[in-house]
Amino acid sequence: MLAQVVVSSITAGAVYALIALGFVLIHKGTGVVHFGYGDQVTFGAYMVLIGQSLLGLPFWPAVALALVGAVALGALVYGGFMRPLRNASLLAKIIATLAIGTVLREFLRAYMGPNAWPFPFLLSPTSVEFLGVRLVPANLAIVGVSLGILAILFVLFERTLAGRAIMAACDNRVGASLVGVRVSNVFLLIWVLASVLATVAGILVAPLLTLSPDMGLIGIKGFTAAILGGFNSLPGAVLGGILLGILEGLAGTYISTALKDMISYGILVAVVLVRPQGLLGVLSVRKV
Amino acid sequence: MSTRPALVILASAIGLAALVAAPAMLAEFHLFQLCLVAGTALVVLGLVVVTGFAGQLSLAQSAFVALGGYGSAILATAWGVPLWLGIPLVSIVVALLGYVLGLMTLRVAGHYLALATMAVTAIVQLALIHSDSITGGAAGMPVPPFEILGRQLQTGGELYWVIVPVTAALFLVVHNLNRSRIGRAFAAIRQSETAAEAMGLNVLRYKAAAFGASGFLGAVGGGLLAPLSSYLDPAAFGITQTVYFLAIAVVGGMMSPLGAVIGSAVFVLLPDFLQAFQSYLGLVFALLLLVFIVLRPTGLASLNPFRRGGEGT
Repeated sequence: MLAQVVVSSITAGAVYALIALGFVLIHKGTGVVHFGYGDQVTFGAYMVLIGQSLLGLPFWPAVALALVGAVALGALVYGGFMRPLRNASLLAKIIATLAIGTVLREFLRAYMGPNAWPFPFLLSPTSVEFLGVRLVPANLAIVGVSLGILAILFVLFERTLAGRAIMAACDNRVGASLVGVRVSNVFLLIWVLASVLATVAGILVAPLLTLSPDMGLIGIKGFTAAILGGFNSLPGAVLGGILLGILEGLAGTYISTALKDMISYGILVAVVLVRPQGLLGVLSVRKV
Repeated sequence: MSTRPALVILASAIGLAALVAAPAMLAEFHLFQLCLVAGTALVVLGLVVVTGFAGQLSLAQSAFVALGGYGSAILATAWGVPLWLGIPLVSIVVALLGYVLGLMTLRVAGHYLALATMAVTAIVQLALIHSDSITGGAAGMPVPPFEILGRQLQTGGELYWVIVPVTAALFLVVHNLNRSRIGRAFAAIRQSETAAEAMGLNVLRYKAAAFGASGFLGAVGGGLLAPLSSYLDPAAFGITQTVYFLAIAVVGGMMSPLGAVIGSAVFVLLPDFLQAFQSYLGLVFALLLLVFIVLRPTGLASLNPFRRGGEGT
């Protein structure tokens, strides 16, 4: 029983981890927390649906088209809003990201309707018995993809020149541009990368959750995961996501189902108040 | 100091006369709309104080509104406390809660504050949904009518005489607050917490007070809007709604109490003009928020022709 609960909640945790990775990528790279990221995840899954129903494409070409759309969306978010706001107050940036998310959500509600859509699984959703625990290939794929993306991003940031340029641009914009880093290109790359990541996450998680315009509210769980792990740490995002999934699963099974959602918001508040740098984060000291 | 005091006095006099004359001249539906504008403006005034004046982004406004509405309705149904007494009582309690929330935000700012207040809204909404025996759970609960001096006020025309004067009074308080010692302290904190602290301001106390004030205004607004709609639905107090209030504040003008009223009027009355586009309303509001925050973050109120010269933002 316990093993089954833990294994099942790891899937939910991997979903949170995937979304948390996007948050951390944007925050680490550009210093902005994207409050509309959950809605961008939803939008990614909807782009596949739009390709299928409006253009009559088969599933895989529609996925390819959605990824192209994700690149365009990421470029639009940066070029249209975040770049013009680069010198605006943090308050304005936060409100703008909230607004971007709301626009995406309300666009979907207006054009695709408020109701849920069916979305196909990429892999078999039937379970396989392994060591007395039921495993679902479609769920395992999410765990695998999360770890894979973590590995790719980790290597990119820590081991390549481009990654170091990104970190330099984030730490000190002026300094980085003085040594020849095109800061605006770096930020554009981050927003595009995060947008593609959101679409991949959307396509993977849509069959598990209910694909409706409000699916983006899962973004809050992603925040919690990111905060729990440490907002600047990529491995922390994955650890935080999986930990949150397991805590939720245990609370939902052994205490009460009503507590399942509450616990993640409770964790969010508690971590923000007690340890804002998260489990694996490093506290940055604010200087005058 | 004001550039054109005569014009401001004239405009205020005309506005006051229009508000007094409105019930005699307008139909019930329009009075209902005016009550809705006034009640929403109260809620948004709370955001003007905490986010506009003090510079602390709060996504907890929906939670305060929910507590004000549910609190006074539950006091009335379960203990027979009339709404005219219950709403101020509950609002004071919510103000204290807001103050405590403000105290807890000592260590966090910016993103973390937004996240924590967002979580507060979500927690309050979930608590309302799961406390079936007191709040009616996900189905919601009916609100008893507003009784005062033996009369039951239910329609927009009747509630007008409660909601509009209360809003007008609190509007004046917030308006004058901005020019007081407290208002200047808020402005100093908004511009630089470190500098404000160096000047000897107790930053934490002022921030907490701003949250307390936003809680009070949100709860009064929620308490007054509840008998107007006569039903409380927990789905109306979530994160989406909190962003809606924020959008009103931004479009109206975050720094201006008048902006709260203008923004509320736009958001409440716009649906009437867009009858044919009902399903696009959410999109229109969201686009308004996005366009204003990028192109005109000072909102509609900054187009005010009576604006005083030489005042910093």
